[in-house]
Amino acid sequence: MARDDKPSASTQAQEPAETDARTLGRRMKDARREMAQRRGAFRDARVTAYGRVRQAAGRQLQPITKPLGVFREKIEENRKWAYPLIGILVIAAAALLPFLSEWFDLPDWARRATSGSALARVALFALFALGLNVVVGFAGLLDLGYVAFWLIGSYTAGILTGAHSYTQAIGGAGTAVEPTWSMWMWLIIPAALVAAVIAGVVLGSPTLRLRGDYLAIVTLGFGEILRITANNLDNITGGPRGVRGIPHPAITIGDINIEWGTLLDKKYYWLLLIFVVLWVIAIRMLDNSRIGRAWVAIREDEIAAAAMGVPVVRMKLAAFAIGACTAGVGGVIYAEQVNFINPPTFSIIQSILILAMVVVGGMGSIPGAILGAAAVVLLPEIFRGFEDYRFFVFGFVLVLLMIFRPQGLLPSKRRKAELKGHVVEEQLYAAGGG
Amino acid sequence: MEVIGDCFSAVGDQFWDQTRNGLTLGAIYAMIALGYTMVYGVLQLINFAHSEVFMVATFATLYAIRDWFDISEPQSGLMLIFVLLVALMASMIASGGLAVLVERFAYRPLRRRGAPRLSFLISAIGASLFIQYLFVLMDGQHYIGPIKLPAIAGPNPQSIPEVMDTQQVFSLFGSSFSNKRVLVIVAAALMLFILDRFVRQTRLGRGIRAVAQDAEAASMMGVNIDAVIVTTFLVGGVMAGAAGMLFVQVLGAPAFWFIGFLPGIKAFTAAVLGGIGNIRGAMLGGLLLGLVEAYSVPCLGAQWLNVTSFVVLVLVLLFRPSGILGEEVGH
Repeated sequence: MARDDKPSASTQAQEPAETDARTLGRRMKDARREMAQRRGAFRDARVTAYGRVRQAAGRQLQPITKPLGVFREKIEENRKWAYPLIGILVIAAAALLPFLSEWFDLPDWARRATSGSALARVALFALFALGLNVVVGFAGLLDLGYVAFWLIGSYTAGILTGAHSYTQAIGGAGTAVEPTWSMWMWLIIPAALVAAVIAGVVLGSPTLRLRGDYLAIVTLGFGEILRITANNLDNITGGPRGVRGIPHPAITIGDINIEWGTLLDKKYYWLLLIFVVLWVIAIRMLDNSRIGRAWVAIREDEIAAAAMGVPVVRMKLAAFAIGACTAGVGGVIYAEQVNFINPPTFSIIQSILILAMVVVGGMGSIPGAILGAAAVVLLPEIFRGFEDYRFFVFGFVLVLLMIFRPQGLLPSKRRKAELKGHVVEEQLYAAGGG
Repeated sequence: MEVIGDCFSAVGDQFWDQTRNGLTLGAIYAMIALGYTMVYGVLQLINFAHSEVFMVATFATLYAIRDWFDISEPQSGLMLIFVLLVALMASMIASGGLAVLVERFAYRPLRRRGAPRLSFLISAIGASLFIQYLFVLMDGQHYIGPIKLPAIAGPNPQSIPEVMDTQQVFSLFGSSFSNKRVLVIVAAALMLFILDRFVRQTRLGRGIRAVAQDAEAASMMGVNIDAVIVTTFLVGGVMAGAAGMLFVQVLGAPAFWFIGFLPGIKAFTAAVLGGIGNIRGAMLGGLLLGLVEAYSVPCLGAQWLNVTSFVVLVLVLLFRPSGILGEEVGH
């Protein structure tokens, strides 16, 4: 439109009205150009107004923000002891959450949100989100079949605890004794971890060499394959009937005897919390290590990374395997908690929910993954009656986030600089800490 | 070895029947695959929301047949042709429109900003989820703000009334071809032919090919890239709409919010099999995938049907990631 020099709208108006199609077309062009100009002016005005409001608010809030800034600087200066201290405080606060409803008279929605089962669900999904965050956030690989590794973990638990043969026995003739937990069963967690890692490597090694978007669809397919396989292989997985009677865990060492009970038991929350904490520590260390830097390099420019000597495929496989083993571990605890699993549990929507958690919280951000899990699990719990709208809203939010805030709610500094575009080199170096 | 022998003899028994089934299904996959391949050609991204574009067509067909014509028993003669044409038109308009909307709201803002590829994929998944659950919510009991959603869809599959009686038209090598299959094959062949001519011989088609080859150079030569991209989505959507209508006719499938998922992922496999970005490749890939799936049924049993296509996808990516005809984007 801008390329041809046409008379402006005002001179057009003085001419006698012509019905000539060409004139009409010209007028429409002019009108459109004027519209575009007005829109631009409006946008500018909006931007200035927004800037002014921000500035004013910033001035007003100075008494609060200034001490906060000083405090933050102090923490940064003494990060060696301040970081672990903050970590311990946060963990302690998180561990005390289920008692809130006993200590205080909480409104109904808060009671629901801090109940043992809701918190256990948050912790479980936080674990999954942390694992997927390594794959999607750190290494930049879109995995849409994450639920597959959860399935592997859960079925490993179902088969190794003997619950599967128990389920088969109920179906047919023969005596059935419901399996109970014995101490060796804690070894199922490492076993599931290994199984999930193997599955991750088997899936990853052919596909990770390919373009990123192929990976997305192959993983999507992989998730479905495993679900269908679990449904079809009657004698290995129990088929559509699933596996029931998976024992609740217990610890018995001498006099100490801790037993985990049914779904509502708060102890599951603490068990999962321990894993979340372990995983946060491990993933933080990984992120700040040579491997973490390799992931960033791959995410930003794979070809350049390869040229610099980063073993691209091996590093991608590492990310995939770490993500997989996280889901495997979570899957075991999930199976023990709900003590019944069947294939429909592991449908595609679960993968997408976990992805939504990672994206909402901020890709590549560890606190973000946990916040995302809490938001996605607890919001429908708090706003009862809106559960039907949940996936609808998540879809909408995913699109909006990608358009307006691709870095998520709690962005990692490094990822923010990258996703927002217009990276100033200085900022990138300043954000190097991740 | 014995298993493989059994497999071959099982396929041999039903060879022509399965070939017929495979070709009908394959023609539908080919039509959906075109949407993936064309969008990939111009934007180098996988349009994950394409399966929802297909899904909408099943509802458009349901509406045309059940509510506009109020048909409860199979029709014949001119009325049948008229109903089918209206249903086809409604599906094509609904799907084409949705595809354009997806482009406008889920992709264009990201394109303007030059967002990384991961953002496009996530935005597409978001759009897909949004559309699916919008249809789940449209059961006449849910509100968005003050607006009551109409009772169009809902969480359960809704069966579509039969418009056509199934009759045998002719038989070939002992396997009979029903009128529905003939309709699907003829309609698909016609649409694929028109599309091929459109891309190769019209001005807009030339624009699409130019953008696929080199978007920057094309824009410098005066091609309006936005218009080309919208056209691509529209054409892909229209093809998916026609495919949806035919799919419902031949398989007797219901209108359902999740119905797009499997055909969508299979059509994507077909697009990769033929060489993504390659329009004729998508047609070939669709037909081949339909055949492979059909032959797998007597061999492995119907419960493994959906696994076959994923295995094909992984094998193609392993051994020939550029597909059978190669990724000749823009040719």
